[in-house]
Amino acid sequence: MHANLINAAIIGYIAATGLALAYLVQRHDLVHRLAVLAALAGWAAHTVALIIRSLELGAPPLGSLPDAISVAVWVIVLLEVLIEQRTGVRVLGAFVLPIVVMLSLQATGSRSGALAPALASAWVWVHIALAMVGVAAFVFNFAGAIMYLLQERQLKIKRPGAFYYRLPSLQTLDRLTFRTLALGFPFLTTGLVLGAIWARAAWGSAFTSDPLAFFSLLAWVIYAGTLAGRAVAGWHGRRAAYFSIVGFAALVVTLGAGLFLPGRHGS
Amino acid sequence: MALFVAGLSHKNAPVGLREQLAVEEDKLRELLQDLQASDVLREVVVLSTCNRVEVYGVAEAPGEARALAFRHLCRHRGMDLATVEPMLYTHLEADAVRHAFRVSASLDSMMIGEPQILGQVKDAFALAQACEAVGPHLHPLFSQAFKVAKRVRTETEVARHAVSVSFAAVELAKKIFDGLAGRAVLLVGAGEMSELAAKHLVEHGAFPIYVANRTLARAQELARALAGTAVPWEELPTALATVDIVVTSTGAVEPVVTRAAVTRVMHGRRGRPLFFIDIAVPRDVEAGVDDLDDVYRYDIDDLKQVVDANLRERAREAQRAETLIEREVAKFLARQGDVEVIPTIVSLRDRLEDIRLGEVRKTLARLPDASPETRAAIEALSSAMVNKILHAPITKLRESSRAGASRSWLELVHELFALGRRA
Repeated sequence: MHANLINAAIIGYIAATGLALAYLVQRHDLVHRLAVLAALAGWAAHTVALIIRSLELGAPPLGSLPDAISVAVWVIVLLEVLIEQRTGVRVLGAFVLPIVVMLSLQATGSRSGALAPALASAWVWVHIALAMVGVAAFVFNFAGAIMYLLQERQLKIKRPGAFYYRLPSLQTLDRLTFRTLALGFPFLTTGLVLGAIWARAAWGSAFTSDPLAFFSLLAWVIYAGTLAGRAVAGWHGRRAAYFSIVGFAALVVTLGAGLFLPGRHGS
Repeated sequence: MALFVAGLSHKNAPVGLREQLAVEEDKLRELLQDLQASDVLREVVVLSTCNRVEVYGVAEAPGEARALAFRHLCRHRGMDLATVEPMLYTHLEADAVRHAFRVSASLDSMMIGEPQILGQVKDAFALAQACEAVGPHLHPLFSQAFKVAKRVRTETEVARHAVSVSFAAVELAKKIFDGLAGRAVLLVGAGEMSELAAKHLVEHGAFPIYVANRTLARAQELARALAGTAVPWEELPTALATVDIVVTSTGAVEPVVTRAAVTRVMHGRRGRPLFFIDIAVPRDVEAGVDDLDDVYRYDIDDLKQVVDANLRERAREAQRAETLIEREVAKFLARQGDVEVIPTIVSLRDRLEDIRLGEVRKTLARLPDASPETRAAIEALSSAMVNKILHAPITKLRESSRAGASRSWLELVHELFALGRRA
């Protein structure tokens, strides 16, 4: 049942992605409405799937990395629909939904079981939940960075194309990347610190040779650098966007490492 | 009775002929009254703009009505109908409806999406209304045309993207800045086009306005006109550091704003973009500033390129508008068809209901002891019979109206059931 619903959700997200991309080309209200509808349908199936999963586990579905990513995806889709509605930036879906699909497929590609009961503690839920909120924020940070670079390019080459008409202003996009960075970073930081404390309690060392831990630290360093650059050195625009993209790449590798490499977080 | 539109427009008639034929309002009033009095035209609206002269009418013989209308139009100007006749196009019924919708929605305009035409159609309609020249055919047609025009405007982008250089500059500014409210504008040099651009920027909330000119007096004069502040020419480099948008249009041969000057101010701007609108030829801003971060420079050719792209975007949107109009035409015709047959259906129903009630009353009078059940049964029986009998003719009438062939059916029904004369 859970697996079927997850598959239904992913199909909904894939359909929404296709429609959102089509909306970039053919700006039909109907196409956008269908994209939102598909995303919401997927999200509804996803919600039920997560509830069933919690009942199965008798705990929040955060015990394993695939489950946790699934929850992150659930948060991202909800935020995507809400932000689109609030800001009127209707092309956001075209940039966020492909990542949603990628993360969903990544999460179902590997399926590890529940956490060993000995390791389960309140700390681990909080650790995972915070890290996942961070991931959700950075998905929007990445989407904002891509949109900024596209719009900046259009304005510099002076040949307005599809993106010029569809995307909001540079300042709006730059603010979006800054705000999502400022939001995601504390969550990521606290999540990592809690993870380290917990690892120390469980294994006696905060930094064990775990691939996810290693890459997440790398991602954290990149985001910390970007935030510092923005706050102190006045970084903005293109440079900040490049760093957001690199940071997100590190984050994707982090999750991939947790899912597919042997270590403390995964199989 | 047929709906038609006949006329000529920028598409097929040269401007010389169009301006010769165009009529001013008081002459138009006269014309409408003449046409009304003729008995050939039941209803008529005349649209006369610099791009089209069109007669929308309802007549038994559209060909005759068209000739009459244009003979009148030609006579006003002492022209010969024979010179105009070959240019005229005529659309009938559904095609006339489509034409009215397309014209009102500015899809038939020289500049697709231009906003004036809708107002001109509204004026033409209001004038015809004032002359009591519109009735049950043209009234719904034009009311619907105005609604369709509004839908096209809001649901497609035919009228969205700027087709003038100065508006294109405003739109560009909006893609760089997060709104124009409170953005400082510096005008360098004076010129009609730069003043226009500045005015558009101010209309969108840009403030304050600074004006720099080699002669301070001219700067002050322009500053007064735009409610801005004059800046001495020597302070131009410092002004660059604070403003957001710079509009240049000097007659200088050498660039007035150099790459070096811009590089110098960009450090202190902390990432605030700087947008140059360079309308001058030769250009006032060194093209080298293009590779500086956060600097956007559009010269007159760049702006024209943007306008061209906007026009292509409008044309693409016009395609969508055409499909929307097709749907609206079909809807309108279906509704019109129903409108034609509904009065007949109503009187047919009334007629049979009258008969039924009369007979039921008679029957019940002969059955004073009938139980309430029996009375109810008689009521039900008679109602059911009437409904069954009516079903086929009503369906047939509706079908015929959708097929556009209701007239003979309507007459037949009126004859058969003695419904009296139709309006």
